[in-house]
Amino acid sequence: MRIGIVCPYSFDVAGGVQYHVRDLAEHLIGAGHQVSVLAPADDDTPVPAYVEAAGRAVPVKYNGSVARLTFGPVSAGRVRRWLGEGEFDVLHIHEPVTPSLSLLALWAATGPIVGTFHTSNLRSRVMLAAQPVLRPSMEKISARIAVSEDARRTLVEHFGGDAVVVPNGVYVDRFAAAPRDPRWTGTPDRPTVAFVGRLDEPRKGLPVLTAALPAVLAACPGTRFLVLGRGDGDDALDGLAPAHRAAVELLGALDDEEKAALLRSVDVYVAPQTGGESFGIVLVEAMSAGAPVLASDLGAFRRVLADGDLGTLFRVGDPAALATELVALLGDPQRRAEVAGRASVAVRRYDWRIVARQVFAVYETVRMGADRVGQDPTAGGLLARWLT
Amino acid sequence: MAGRAAPGRAVVSGAFGRIGEAVVGWIGDRVGEVSGWVPLIVALVLVLGWYLSYSAGRLDRLHHRVESTRAALDGQLARRAAAALEVAHVLDPATALLLTDAATEALTAGEEEPAAVPTLEQVENDLTRALQAAFDDADDVRALRGDPLATESLDLLTQACIRVQLARRFHNDAVATAQRVRRKRVVRWFRLAGHAEWPLMVEMDDTPPTGLIDLVA
Repeated sequence: MRIGIVCPYSFDVAGGVQYHVRDLAEHLIGAGHQVSVLAPADDDTPVPAYVEAAGRAVPVKYNGSVARLTFGPVSAGRVRRWLGEGEFDVLHIHEPVTPSLSLLALWAATGPIVGTFHTSNLRSRVMLAAQPVLRPSMEKISARIAVSEDARRTLVEHFGGDAVVVPNGVYVDRFAAAPRDPRWTGTPDRPTVAFVGRLDEPRKGLPVLTAALPAVLAACPGTRFLVLGRGDGDDALDGLAPAHRAAVELLGALDDEEKAALLRSVDVYVAPQTGGESFGIVLVEAMSAGAPVLASDLGAFRRVLADGDLGTLFRVGDPAALATELVALLGDPQRRAEVAGRASVAVRRYDWRIVARQVFAVYETVRMGADRVGQDPTAGGLLARWLT
Repeated sequence: MAGRAAPGRAVVSGAFGRIGEAVVGWIGDRVGEVSGWVPLIVALVLVLGWYLSYSAGRLDRLHHRVESTRAALDGQLARRAAAALEVAHVLDPATALLLTDAATEALTAGEEEPAAVPTLEQVENDLTRALQAAFDDADDVRALRGDPLATESLDLLTQACIRVQLARRFHNDAVATAQRVRRKRVVRWFRLAGHAEWPLMVEMDDTPPTGLIDLVA
């Protein structure tokens, strides 16, 4: 099958949607399909062979956070050319309500179109105001996928209709088989706890973790906190006493293999996010790597952790609750092993082999009874006349 | 209603407005007495005309989506019935007869004339229930899969059941969207839907048999 995938976010920056698109594309190519991914990138940025660069991405604030997006006449032209040359059987657009390539592609295309909705935090006011602009484009999507129950609810709330839930995928075996790294492996005296996420984005929860730190260190003095992520952590770390600050080790950004090794080595992975999470892919990665998970009880996390059966939950944004649960976990290796054991079996349903099959079932369903992906004469004409 | 403008609509109306003014200006020069409101009316008529054709195109696309998703659903339902017939060969005679009966009913329902929606829903519901009865237990299914021939037809049936569910959801999503647009005032007042039938959702039980699904997850 010839499949065109559109990613709205630039590949230069790490992000859940980008990883999802990359892994899905590689899995489909591995299964023998022809895949082309259209994504923002400069012409001189090195990208994988299956990625078509659609122009430079500009950092823009949208929906409450800064994202690197591509728009404007040059990109619109490239989208049309890509659609024309691709002769796709199915067009798969990620995050269709982002003002980037996704919306441009949706506007310019007709035929079997699949849309995947990743976010669960669309701003209601913006969505309400943008309805007249978005609706006619949204109507062209023949199959809507949401990555979680939360994302589905958000979508249905704003646009009505329905969507099927297909979760984000993970290469479970890559995490399960990653080698342990002695630098990050805990000992009974010096257990290790991992945090993964941007340091300067408060909703990722670093401030909650640092607020819980004194209580944890009082009970387990040797605990090491390994922090993986980009950004400036000063705001969250400056308030700590020097003795507490010394327990935090900033690892910066790590590549995929190092991240897998980290999650494979630590005694506990903690996810103190305070909101805006639609799925929780890192939780699934940690479960694959066999790391016991301690997470805030956000809806998305509760669902991934089966209400606490596959990991431990604490009240969202509550450092005291985090500290209590973390100290209890660190003191109970048997419970950690049991929960991680259950999680590593349950996590199989997020493996790409199963997830990609579900996505492909959606492709086959929309293809049946429909033509190929083509160019929308009305939108194409308008774009051509007014933008290029 | 400026806030309800679609992308491009403002640009287009502006451009048409300019053309309209130019045309009217030319006529005005010739005739000599054109009041100030004529350009405005011409512009409004042009915008209305553009909006009507735009809405008609949008509705047409939605009708097309309703039809193609319906065709996909019919196709998947036929595949499911065929897979159920195939699978009956590896079952005990009683279950086989039950399944064959339900699957044949489903396959022949639309033969004489296109099946009316209620009948279609009824026969497909019957097939769903027959499948549910035959494969409600994951252990039984696991035992059946010992035979390679059975494995193949069971896989086909499982895939078909999942796709029926997907196809119906996508179809009903298209129907809901089409219904919403058809309720719009501009569509009703100007009868943009023509003689197209009011789209109806397909309401049926499409739950795949528990015994088959357990093995997939």
